[in-house]
Amino acid sequence: MKTVRVQAQVDMELCQGCKTCQMVCPVYAIQVSRVDGKPQVNIDYDLCVGCWNCEQRCPDHAISMAPCEPFDLATDVSKFDYDEIHALCRKAHFHPKQLVCYCTATRAEEVAAAILDGASDPAQVVRACGVGSGCGIECNQPILRFLEAAGKTFERPKQSYQWYGRTATVWDVSDKVKKEHPGFRFDSDRDLLDSVVNAPIHNVKS
Amino acid sequence: MYNKALPPAPTRVSQYGVGPKYVVKRGAELKNIVGVPLTDLVTGLPPVIFPGGSNDVAVIRKETEAALAKVDMSKITAGSTVNILASHHGFTFYGGQPYAEMLRTIKDVVEQRTGCKEVRLRAGLGMRFRETEEYIKAHGLDEYFHGKALGIAPIDAGIPIETELGTLFGLKKAYDADFIIHAHNSDVREVHFHRQVDRAVKPFGMSYARCETRSTYHMNLGPRAANFVARSIFESEFVQSKFAFACFLTMSPAGATGVDADTDLYALNDRVTVGGMRDYGKIMTLFGAIDECIVILDFPCPVPYVFACGVIYANMACANLDVFDLDYPLPPYTWYTETMYDDNGKPLIPEVPPVNPAIKTVVHNYAWIGYPSVFFAEKSPTIVVGKQQAELFDRDPMNLNYMKHALLADNLDGAMDFAYHTTGTRKVILFDGAASGLNVSEPLAEHLYKVAPGVMERVEQKLLPKWLAQRNVDPSLLDQVA
Repeated sequence: MKTVRVQAQVDMELCQGCKTCQMVCPVYAIQVSRVDGKPQVNIDYDLCVGCWNCEQRCPDHAISMAPCEPFDLATDVSKFDYDEIHALCRKAHFHPKQLVCYCTATRAEEVAAAILDGASDPAQVVRACGVGSGCGIECNQPILRFLEAAGKTFERPKQSYQWYGRTATVWDVSDKVKKEHPGFRFDSDRDLLDSVVNAPIHNVKS
Repeated sequence: MYNKALPPAPTRVSQYGVGPKYVVKRGAELKNIVGVPLTDLVTGLPPVIFPGGSNDVAVIRKETEAALAKVDMSKITAGSTVNILASHHGFTFYGGQPYAEMLRTIKDVVEQRTGCKEVRLRAGLGMRFRETEEYIKAHGLDEYFHGKALGIAPIDAGIPIETELGTLFGLKKAYDADFIIHAHNSDVREVHFHRQVDRAVKPFGMSYARCETRSTYHMNLGPRAANFVARSIFESEFVQSKFAFACFLTMSPAGATGVDADTDLYALNDRVTVGGMRDYGKIMTLFGAIDECIVILDFPCPVPYVFACGVIYANMACANLDVFDLDYPLPPYTWYTETMYDDNGKPLIPEVPPVNPAIKTVVHNYAWIGYPSVFFAEKSPTIVVGKQQAELFDRDPMNLNYMKHALLADNLDGAMDFAYHTTGTRKVILFDGAASGLNVSEPLAEHLYKVAPGVMERVEQKLLPKWLAQRNVDPSLLDQVA
């Protein structure tokens, strides 16, 4: 869960219309176009999650983050059958109570609930529970693992640098790699992660 | 009788920290703080070339030129394009001057030796997407590279790289040249993550990589297996077709010890591995012998990256466990570890080691935003000094919950009074970047002098041989590394 308190705003005096903001937005909230040769930037404030990506990458320093009326990005886990949540978490190799986003403190159960609630691509998952709206780095793969576990496929928009794709997990590493590189202790680490996935569940909210 | 406190690293103007005017008092100005020279505590450290003497970076240029003289650059021709790949970490040493000078010298030598005129700088970063832009500007590197110096961030355009692990993703701007030069630093830094396995290779999975790859490292493979990410990228056909050589600023806890360069990254990696375990292994094991303390964070970096004797605070948080020992699967702090606590703060499995219980309280006098740091405030009592700093953390999308777990003090003296009263300890250690030594309170200095000889003996006789054997590194390399 995340409470959004700031959103992006553009200083059109500085904007050169380079589209960097559009390309780095994880939720496709920004569209840049040109009208009569002049840049036009449209920010959809129903989508902006206040992640700062655009502010941080704008080469012309044309974007700032301005206070907004606070609102929550959250999915109520208790609305769903916890067995379903648990099953989806297990399929994605997470314990329901595991943290998957360090910035927003979003746990696996909420990501699963967001998908059960209809989120079907990474941007929708971000908007549904705030995961991925902080550093925008570390929870990238958990989000994609959950979507794949739920059987959701999506196509990355061409006008975006985001969500290039799911990558390997320790459950995917081939025997050949394990054999050739024993020093990396793949099986031992897999056992460790499995022990977390299979740990008992406490504190289920209903 | 102890020496007076050593000068701390200066504050830095940055969008990621409060302005220097808000850092009203440094920890080193507290009345009971003394400076302990590192050489009083740690044996066998190699000679330092910087800082020291006139603090002239000319010595770095000279060392870089000498190291590069032995490197075959015949791949690079006058018509080639070359990217020097750098990282933000190098700029955090001694104001960044030595690292910046090494980068300038690489450019100059490559141009002189090969006739190449298209040598660019691409500086990777962690989570503060403008940080290397700040360093590039501060060190005049954009002018030096004729407008061809760029900060590259993990959300920038990517490029797929086929590896033994399948497709991973690098940063397009890192690889948009015929050849790449890997320019890094050798300190152990995030040893809680990389465990001194392929230390010299790691930036291929991090600084030069997209967020998908970084997330693979921190979320998909496990705390030790993760290190294969960097190796798989480096060994890919794509990267091998571009790799020219590596050039490292070599470090010890006391400062820069030289420059090492090689076309064989694994040979350089072995030297870095050995030197890092020998030198940093001692000071980190010594930190583990501190029985109780108050930690003062006082350095221009995010919470886990503030320095004491070249060791970052994240490693102090892990000092209750030997993170060099690969038989321990999980250090007390890694991204993996952090995921393994439930919403009541309890570990999901008993194998999760606690954060160093010797840390009784953390006084956050000066540290930056731009890294998710709530874990540290959750696990150790934390007092933040100054409302401006608290407000900065409240605004940071990576630290929205940090102040929910920290207390706020008006000033450093008030924070210290509270820490003394509530912990009952008078042992204080500063992570303030002081050069060549450690700023601590007198009671902690006394403790360190007492335990250091035993720690040095244990590292040299027992731990170092074990660490080397776990990594299949030839112990005779110890004699070759300065």
